Amino acid sequence: MEKTLVVKNLALAFHQERRPVTILAGVEFEISSGETLALVGESGSGKTLTALSIVKLLPPQARLETGEVRLNGQSLTSLSEREMENIRGRQVGLVFQEPSAYLNPVFTIGNQIEEAIKSSLSRKEKKERVAQMLAEVGLDEKHYWHYPHQLSGGMQQRALIAMALINHPSLLIADEPTTSLDVTTAVQIISLIKTLIKKHHLALLFISHDIALAHYFADRMAVMYAGRLVEIGPTRTVFNSPRHPYTESLIACLPEKYKPGEKIRAIPGTVPDFANLPSGCPFHPRCHRRMERCFREEPEMFPVASALVRCFLYGNSVATEPGN
Amino acid sequence: MRRFWQRLWKKSKPAGVALIVLFLLYATALLANFLSPYPYERQFREYSLCPPTRIHFIDSQGRFHLRPFVYGITVVNPAFKRYREDHTRLYPIKFFAEGRRRILGVEPPGKIFLLGTDLHGRDIFSRILHGARISLSIGLIGVSISFLLGLIIGGVSGYFGGRLDTVLMRLVEIIMTFPSFYLLLALRASFKPNISSLQLYLLIVIIMSLIGWASLARIIRGMVLSLKEEEFVMASRSLGLSTFRIITRHILPNTFSYTVTALTLSIPGYILGESTLSLLGLGIQEPYPSWGNMLSICVGNLRILTLAPWMLTPGLCIFVTVMCFNFLGDGLREVMDPRNW
Repeated sequence: MEKTLVVKNLALAFHQERRPVTILAGVEFEISSGETLALVGESGSGKTLTALSIVKLLPPQARLETGEVRLNGQSLTSLSEREMENIRGRQVGLVFQEPSAYLNPVFTIGNQIEEAIKSSLSRKEKKERVAQMLAEVGLDEKHYWHYPHQLSGGMQQRALIAMALINHPSLLIADEPTTSLDVTTAVQIISLIKTLIKKHHLALLFISHDIALAHYFADRMAVMYAGRLVEIGPTRTVFNSPRHPYTESLIACLPEKYKPGEKIRAIPGTVPDFANLPSGCPFHPRCHRRMERCFREEPEMFPVASALVRCFLYGNSVATEPGN
Repeated sequence: MRRFWQRLWKKSKPAGVALIVLFLLYATALLANFLSPYPYERQFREYSLCPPTRIHFIDSQGRFHLRPFVYGITVVNPAFKRYREDHTRLYPIKFFAEGRRRILGVEPPGKIFLLGTDLHGRDIFSRILHGARISLSIGLIGVSISFLLGLIIGGVSGYFGGRLDTVLMRLVEIIMTFPSFYLLLALRASFKPNISSLQLYLLIVIIMSLIGWASLARIIRGMVLSLKEEEFVMASRSLGLSTFRIITRHILPNTFSYTVTALTLSIPGYILGESTLSLLGLGIQEPYPSWGNMLSICVGNLRILTLAPWMLTPGLCIFVTVMCFNFLGDGLREVMDPRNW
């Protein structure tokens, strides 16, 4: 069966000043209908850019170098901007991080959802569709007439979800949809998204920096570091037995793993600057299991159990002894 | 509409009052033919500079009349424009006294000059009503042309940026360097002095609005420049809306709390511009009245001012209209932004 979304060997570079700066390299994943893939990584690892390059909503200086994106069997890579307008909203819905900023402050919620409808319906039919959608995301009918600032963050996010899903797309991209919300609202939004995917058989690309949250509801998980996928596989495999040292350290950072009073072990160092990535494996300066080889060569994805891991620990059996 | 009114009234009482006054003014301008007692060009030569006719309920014998009436006017001294009420002749004010076309009047030979007459003996009240058509519409039409241009050019320039933006903004700067009033004079001078009033009217509107859009386009461009970086623009792009729709439906409406205010505040400029031109004798030509050319007779004529101060009522009308638009603009500023409710 054809997967809903196939991303193949995606590479993206920023063309600023003289030298192009590579941001994404070799990003590959697939999502089938009804499946949730969580894209996890620190801020600045290229998660959002990955999502935006799928729908080609990139900042002007960014350019796709290689790679292909296929949505429901159709290649999006060669489509013109006009054709992409047709895809966006109709086949892909996007939900963003800061709901208050993504709603137009001068229009009512109902107006904006109605505006998003792409099929030609009569006014009355549109209204009905919006009312139905509002109910589906758990908003009251009266919110049709409300302005964004009159709604709480959680309700705003519900409205955005309604906008993203009004045309019944087959793929939903949720870019940290709960980051700006408090914990209880976040849980409500997550469970809402969960029910909606189940109901509409949506493929979901869930982007988050919170690996625990991703673990809670993704079927598969992809971990990203410095614009590269470092590990991808079924959530349970990745979360319970992380193979890549980065994934391992990310999970080790979760506060839940510590007793009260115990000091949390953060990953030393920071995410590297894309303009001067370290040589070899970009993670090696922060890696606790680096080998001599990591300084020189960049690893490929190696299959381990049901996952793929980008680390020399698991392939190219030249020097497999972990060193310091 | 009702909601809008409630909000306006809640936010600013002066703006509410101003809106009502403006509504009445425009209504009278529309119904000028019907409401005015006389045609605007009708001259009563023997009654030149006649003071406003007083309306009475009680006659010289002390009897009360339910129907208001005016006395006949006797000319005391035609050279010095002295008039006296003739208490022997009594003309009740009637509906449709002069045929079916005019609601209010007195039977001839009675005269009713509610605001007096001008040098040629024309009824100023009738002329003000007719003049309102020009003075009030010139602002609306002019403003709509210049705002259409300003919104489109500013929006496009700000959204697309790049070379287009550079070209358009240099054009704006060139236009803004023209001293607009002298440009108006120069352009007016380049046309024949005897063109018809309608052509002249259109000419004035077009010239003024073709100058007026520049500063607006500039401000709109600045606003669009910052608005297009807002996340909701990204959101509408992610919904697959076309660029045209994004500009017109999402970006420009966000500038409305500014533009609507600027719009109401620039209408007085047009009214005053037309008045100034007419004042200099370059605007709407006699016999057709506009508030400006009615005032122009008074300029530099102290004798008229002391003898017939009622000739200044068009000035009062301009004053009231301009004030109303200013109050309304201030009120709208508050109302147009939903975040202020």
